[in-house]
Amino acid sequence: MSVSQSAHIHAAIAARNDRSLAAKAIDWIRTRPEGGIAVLFVLVQIACVAGALAFPTSFRYLSEPNIAVLLKSIAPIGIMALGVGVLMIAGEFDLSVGALYSFCAIVAATLSNQWGGDAGAEGASSLAPFGGMLVGLAIGTLAGVIHALVTLRFNIPSFITTLGAMLLWKGATLLYHGAASLRFKPTEPFDTIFDGSLGVVHASIIWFAVFAVIFHFILHHHRIGNHFFAVGGNQKAAVAIGINPTRTKIIAFAIAGFMAALSGIVAGARVGSIQPGGGLGLELVAIAACVIGGHALMGGRGSILGIVLGTCLMFTIQDVLLLLRAPGFYFEMFVGGLIVVAVITNMAIRRKN
Amino acid sequence: MMNASTAKVEVIAPREPRSPGVKPAGTPLLEMRNIVKRYGAFVALNRMNFHIGENEVVGLLGDNGAGKSTLVKMMSGINPPTSGEIYARGGKVALNCRADSEAAGIETIYQDIALVDSMPITRNIFMGREITNRWGFMKHKAMERTAIEILGSAVQISGIDDPEKEVGFLSGGQKQAVAIARAVHFKRNILLLDEPTSALSVRETEHLLGYVRDLKSEGTSSVLVTHNIYHAFQVCDRFVVMSHGAKVFEARKEDTTIEEVTDHVIRT
Repeated sequence: MSVSQSAHIHAAIAARNDRSLAAKAIDWIRTRPEGGIAVLFVLVQIACVAGALAFPTSFRYLSEPNIAVLLKSIAPIGIMALGVGVLMIAGEFDLSVGALYSFCAIVAATLSNQWGGDAGAEGASSLAPFGGMLVGLAIGTLAGVIHALVTLRFNIPSFITTLGAMLLWKGATLLYHGAASLRFKPTEPFDTIFDGSLGVVHASIIWFAVFAVIFHFILHHHRIGNHFFAVGGNQKAAVAIGINPTRTKIIAFAIAGFMAALSGIVAGARVGSIQPGGGLGLELVAIAACVIGGHALMGGRGSILGIVLGTCLMFTIQDVLLLLRAPGFYFEMFVGGLIVVAVITNMAIRRKN
Repeated sequence: MMNASTAKVEVIAPREPRSPGVKPAGTPLLEMRNIVKRYGAFVALNRMNFHIGENEVVGLLGDNGAGKSTLVKMMSGINPPTSGEIYARGGKVALNCRADSEAAGIETIYQDIALVDSMPITRNIFMGREITNRWGFMKHKAMERTAIEILGSAVQISGIDDPEKEVGFLSGGQKQAVAIARAVHFKRNILLLDEPTSALSVRETEHLLGYVRDLKSEGTSSVLVTHNIYHAFQVCDRFVVMSHGAKVFEARKEDTTIEEVTDHVIRT
């Protein structure tokens, strides 16, 4: 049990730290789940910037309005994908986040309007939108906990639980509000906090950035994040070592529900009205962003940086297609291709190791 | 509930098991009395008695399907008995989850290695027992330092040089070694080793058996589950041979021979 046996490990770590910057970068790309997508993201950005510099009049990628629109479009899906991605790492799915996105936003906006939170109302209340938002977020979180309890109590795939929940929340939205769109023009300071801008940077993208940083610390530096990876990577091992998978997964589901509600409310505040069917299909876009960002479908692998890059890359491509005046349906074709290419690239990199 | 299931067992039990045995000297660290484990109609453990004394290495032997792994999983708390009593240092305990067995001072190295392939070695070692500050944020530096020490001192692990390496990239022997290193680091009173040498090289096996002896001299008792009677004879103080969920032979090392133990494993 002499300490000298650690010498070769210290040597190896020293060698690791002494690598050249290029070698470090290559190793990072090869070992990190988001490595491949980071390369692709940088290449796309270089191509776009080069294109914009070469053809400043016909390809307005760097124009202020374009950057503002691009950032705005990233935020809601990004916020939703953070929750979906954390849940995927813990080894579960939530297909109902798109329906929850609408339901929670509708509830939040309805309550806010009832409590006098509409900017045009007589004697408008500045606190009402916050009250509505709190209820919306609470419903999202509670819905996540219910999905978790049903999934774990009856030991069924979360894919099934949340497929049912998706239809349930979709129906609940129509039951609660009907199919008409709902006006959501909240009073100050809510409006500035969620719909203001700092130059080209809209408030929603700042919220996305703030939550991405918070989630990065939770997932990669907090004990509970380590448990998400353990439970998603090998549940039997996690149980054997004393991690409670039920508790861990309930937290992950609750996070996904909370983030779905938040993204719905943030998006509603930006647009100024909420469509009851507006969230349909977004769950798949959020899952696609995570998969493109290097998340394993079976859990245990992924990162916050991957979610951010995956979302940004998807919307960069959409933006480029719009700038090139391609018809809208091109977007989905490209996202479809991108998912498959991203997974193939990730697998190829992993096999090389 | 308990009474009903016990009564049922007496109907299902194939035969009255013989109960040979060595009486525990003093209060054992862990004692299991009349343990029955049934999976539906199948009786995996049939009124098994087993104990681990202080400063003792027990060899748990038997052919495949004898119930050794069932017993080990029970002691590590992930497989509660259908009926029977468990005592830790003389006090009655229930081992219904991992936390219970941890409280009883038991640490296990599993046959189907309890590691997460997609996580680095350090994260695996501290999985569920992270070193954190008071807000639950992990102290990466402290964990890495300890991991280096563990990897260097516990078992000579061939080829593992970076604690940040993902476990999925390790060989079977290296994985086993990480699992052993982890269990040894968090050692309590009792270390359970379920077929620990199955994936190890000859040299790694020698190191492991030496380590079990070292641990004994430091006061940690072990249970070594193995097919290999020669390995068992190198380190064990007492042998328990199981067959069809029951104990068929038990003897102290000084009272038996390798031939006699082999005979019982093969014959029963």
